[in-house]
Amino acid sequence: MRGVTRRSFIDWLLGLGVVGWVSSVLYPIVQYIIPPRVPEARLSAVKVGKVDDFEPNSGRVVRFGHQPVLLIRTEFGDFKAFGATCTHLACIVQYRPDWKLIWCACHNGRFDLKGLNVAGPPPRPLEPFKVVVRGDDVFITRET
Amino acid sequence: MYLKRWLLIGCLAFGFVGYPGPVGSQTQDQCQTCHREVLEDVPSQKYVNDVHFQKGIACAGCHGGDPTQADMDAAMDPKKGYIGVPRGAQVVQVCNACHADASRMAQWASPIDTVQFQRFETSVHGKPDVATCVSCHGVHEIRSARDPQSPTYPTQEVLLCARCHADPAYMRKFNPALPTDQLEKYWTSRHGQRLRQGDVRVATCSDCHTAHTVYPPKDPRSSVYALNVPIMCARCHSDPEYMKPYGIPTHQYDLYASTVHGRALLEKHDTGAPACNDCHGNHGALPPGVQTLSHVCGLCHALNAEYFGRSPHAAPFAKKGLPQCEACHGNHEVLPTSLEMLRPEAPVFTCRKCHTMDDRGTQTARTMYETIQRLVTLEEEARRLLTAAERKGMDVTDVWFQLRDVHAAYLKARTVVHTSDPAEVQKVVEPAIQLARQAQAEGQRALAEFDFRRKGLAFATLWITLLAIALYLKIRQIESRSRTGEPKS
Amino acid sequence: MWRRIYEWLDERYQLQALVEFMSHKYVPMHRHAIWYYFGGVSLFLFLVQVTTGILLLMYYRVGEDASYESVRFIMSQVRFGWLIRSIHSWGANLMILAVFIHMFSVYFTRAYRKPRELTWVSGFLLLTLALFFGFTGYLLPWNQLAFFATRVGTEIVGSVPVIGRELVRILRGGEEVSGATLARFFGLHVALLPGIFTVLLTLHLLFIQRQGIAEPESWAGRPDSEKRRMPFFPNFLLRDLLLWLIVLNVLAFLAVFYPWELGPKADPFAPAPPGIKPEWYFLFMYQTLKVLPAKVFFLEGEFVGLLLFTLGGLLWMTVPFWEGRLGRYRNELAHLIGWIVLVYGVTMTLWGFRS
Repeated sequence: MRGVTRRSFIDWLLGLGVVGWVSSVLYPIVQYIIPPRVPEARLSAVKVGKVDDFEPNSGRVVRFGHQPVLLIRTEFGDFKAFGATCTHLACIVQYRPDWKLIWCACHNGRFDLKGLNVAGPPPRPLEPFKVVVRGDDVFITRET
Repeated sequence: MYLKRWLLIGCLAFGFVGYPGPVGSQTQDQCQTCHREVLEDVPSQKYVNDVHFQKGIACAGCHGGDPTQADMDAAMDPKKGYIGVPRGAQVVQVCNACHADASRMAQWASPIDTVQFQRFETSVHGKPDVATCVSCHGVHEIRSARDPQSPTYPTQEVLLCARCHADPAYMRKFNPALPTDQLEKYWTSRHGQRLRQGDVRVATCSDCHTAHTVYPPKDPRSSVYALNVPIMCARCHSDPEYMKPYGIPTHQYDLYASTVHGRALLEKHDTGAPACNDCHGNHGALPPGVQTLSHVCGLCHALNAEYFGRSPHAAPFAKKGLPQCEACHGNHEVLPTSLEMLRPEAPVFTCRKCHTMDDRGTQTARTMYETIQRLVTLEEEARRLLTAAERKGMDVTDVWFQLRDVHAAYLKARTVVHTSDPAEVQKVVEPAIQLARQAQAEGQRALAEFDFRRKGLAFATLWITLLAIALYLKIRQIESRSRTGEPKS
Repeated sequence: MWRRIYEWLDERYQLQALVEFMSHKYVPMHRHAIWYYFGGVSLFLFLVQVTTGILLLMYYRVGEDASYESVRFIMSQVRFGWLIRSIHSWGANLMILAVFIHMFSVYFTRAYRKPRELTWVSGFLLLTLALFFGFTGYLLPWNQLAFFATRVGTEIVGSVPVIGRELVRILRGGEEVSGATLARFFGLHVALLPGIFTVLLTLHLLFIQRQGIAEPESWAGRPDSEKRRMPFFPNFLLRDLLLWLIVLNVLAFLAVFYPWELGPKADPFAPAPPGIKPEWYFLFMYQTLKVLPAKVFFLEGEFVGLLLFTLGGLLWMTVPFWEGRLGRYRNELAHLIGWIVLVYGVTMTLWGFRS
C-alpha cells in the first residue's frame, strides 16, 4: 500500500486504540447512569396493580422489596396489607375467603383482619402495612 | 433441795404462761374454761378436734389476749393483744404469723412448706373477699390433710373446690368468664374415676394447681403454665415406684421431652406447642380415643388431618381400630419427619408396618417419594448455583426470595402425601419445579454475568494493551525523530 | 483537523505562548527518575476517585436506613455499579499507597530543599487530607466493619485531656457513632475535603510548573548540555499516560477478581467483630497506640501516642526548614531519619496485620 508510512500506521493504531479505550470506558459509565429497572434501593412504596385487578374478598401475596406481603381486598372493597410471614415459625400465610380470616397452613394459626393473632400457636400479630389507592393504582407502603 | 424443785416448777410455769406466743397451757387456759364449760359455745367444743389444739396451741394463739385471766375484760384486753374475731385479711395474717414463718414451724417439726403461705396473697385466691384460710380449712376444727374427715383430704378436696368453682352464680361474682364445669369433666377422667373408687393417690385439684399458690394458667408463675405442665404431670407419671400399682408406662415424659413437641415447648419456649393437657385434656384427662386421634392432632395439623380423612387409609384404620396419626408418627415420641419415611428401601420406611414390599401401597409411596425428591434435587441444585454466584461476588438476594416459594411448595407437598394420592402430590410439585428451574436459570445468569465481567475485562484489557503498544511505538517514534534531528510534527 | 482546531483557539487565546512555555519543560533523566512517575500516578488516581465518586453519588443515599441498602443496590442492581464501586474502593487504597511512595521518593531524593519547601508542605497536607478522605469514606457503606472501625478510630480522640470528649462529640455528631456521624462524614467526604484538596493540589501543581522538576544535587553547577533530559511534552507525558493506562487496567482487574466486599449491615448492638482494626494505612498508628502503656506518667497512653504522632507529623512537614541545621552530615542524617521513619512505618503496619 503506497502512502501508508510507518509513521502514519502508528498514528492510525494510536487513533484506533484511543477510540477503543474511550468506548470501553464510556460504555460502562453510560450504562451506569441509565437508571435500572427498580430505581431505588430501599423501597418505601410498591405499586402492585390496579384496583380492578383485585376481586373483593380475595388476597394475594406480593413482593415488597425482599419481603412477602399479603394484600387483601375485603368484601366491602377496601384494602388491607400485612407482612405475610407467620409470627410462629415463619411460614407464608394466606387469606381464606371462606372464613374471612388470615390463615397459616403450617399449624392452623389464624389472624383477624386487623392482623391480630386470634387462634393457634402464633404469639404475635402480623406486621402492618399501609395501602394507598391513588386514582386507579394500588400502592403498598410501610406503616411508619 | 425442795426449794430448788419448786423454783424449777415455778420457772416452768412462769415460762409457759409468760411466753408471749401461741403456747398457752390448756390446763390454765381461762378462755377454754369459760367458753367451753360455762358458755358451752360451738367453737370451743369443736376445738378439741382441731390439730392446733392437739399441738398445744390455745385460743390466745390466734385471738390474742391473756388466757390466764378469768375476768373477761382482763382476758380480752386489746392491750394484751386481743383481736377478737379476725376478719378478711386479718385471718391470713393470723395464720401466716406461724405458718409463713419457717423457724416457728420448726418448733413443731412441721413438714409443711412455709413459702407457699408467704405467696398466698399474690395468688388468685389471695384477696380477702375471694378466700381466706378458713374458707377451705374451716376454723376451730381444722384437721390434718391426711385425716379423711378433713375437707382437704383428697376425696373431700374436689368437692371443696367445687363448692365455689362449680357454682356459676357464685363464680360470676368474681370471674364471669371462668368455666364452671371442671368437676363434671374431672369425674370423666381416669383420675376422677379412680378417686370415686377411693384411690387417694391420684391427682386432685391441689396436686396440679397447688393449694395455696394458684395462679391463672397464662401466668408464668402458675404450676399449670404451659411450660410447667409436662414436668408437673411427670412428677407422678414418670415415677416407676409411684405408678407400680397402675401398670402403665412411665417413660412418656422422656420420650416427649426429647422429641419434636417437647423440644419446641421446653427448649424453644414455643407455647404454641402442645403440653400434656392439649392432647389429653386437663380436668377430663384421658388418652384420646384412637378413633379420634386425628381430630386432636388436627387442631394444629389441620391440613394433614383433612388429607388423611379423605385418604384411602381413613376407612380401614377406623374398621381395624388403628390409631390414626400415631401409627406412623408416634404419640409421645414424635420424631422429626423426613422424606425417607416414604422411601421403601429406607430403614425408616413407615408403610412397612402394614404393607408388603411389592403391594400397591408401597408403589404409591415410592411414586410420591420420587416426585418430591425431584423437586428437592432441583432446589438443591439451584441453591448450589446461587451460593457459587454469591461467592463470586454476585448479588442474588432476589433469587433466594424466589426459592422461598419453592420451599413452601415442598412443605405443602409433604403435607399432601397424607392423601396417599400421587396425582395430588404431582399437582403441588409441578409449579414448584418450574419455579426451581427459574431460580436455577437466574443462578446460571448470575454466573454468566460474572463470566461476562471477565470477558469484558479481557476486552478492555485488549484495547488498553493495543493503545499501550501504540503509545509506546509513538514514544519511540518521537524520540528517534528528535535524536536524528528530523523536524517535529 | 486537530491543526485547524488549534489555530482557531490560538487566534483567540494566544495559545502559542503557552505552548512555548510548555515545550521548555524538561524532566531530568537519571538513575532515580523512575520515581517521578508516582506523582502523576497519584494525580491520576485522584481523578479516578473523583469520577467514580461522582458516579456513586447518583445512587448513594445517606442515612442509617438507606446507606447500606443503597450500596447493595449499586453493587447488584445498577449496571456496572459493581465496577464503579470496586474501582472507587480499590482506587482509594492504591492512591494512598501511591502518595506514600511519592512522598518517600521525594524525601530520599531530597527534593524538598530550597526552593521547593512549600511544595513539600502542600504535599504533606495533601497526604493528611487523603487519609481523612479514606477515614470518612470508609464509614459511608454503613457496614459492620466500617461502623466498628469508625467507633474505635474516633474513640482515640477522646484520650486528649480536657477537650477530648467534646472533640469526639463533634467528630461523631453525638455521643455514639450514628446516622449523625454518617451525615457529617458524608459532608466532609464529598464537599469539604474535595474543596480543600483541589485548592492545595492546584497550588502544588502550580509550584511544580513554575519551578520545574527537581534535579539531582549532583547536577548542581553542570551546564545544560551535559544534563540528560527528556521533554515533558510529549515524551514524558506519553509515558505517564501509558503508566496510567496500566494502572487503570490493574484497577479493573482488581474490581473483577477481588470485588470489594460489603458484608453485613452495621448493628450498633452487636458485639464488635473479633480482630477489628482500621484500614492498612492507619495500622502503623493503631499498632503504636496498642503497644504504648496505658499510662505514661500522669497522661493517658493513647494521648501520648497522639502527641507523638502530631509532633512527628509537624517535624516531618517542616523538614525543609530544620534539615539545614543538621550540620556537615545533613545528607546522611536526613537519609537515616527517612529510613527510620520508613522502616518503623512498615514494621508497625506488618505487625498490625499479623496481630
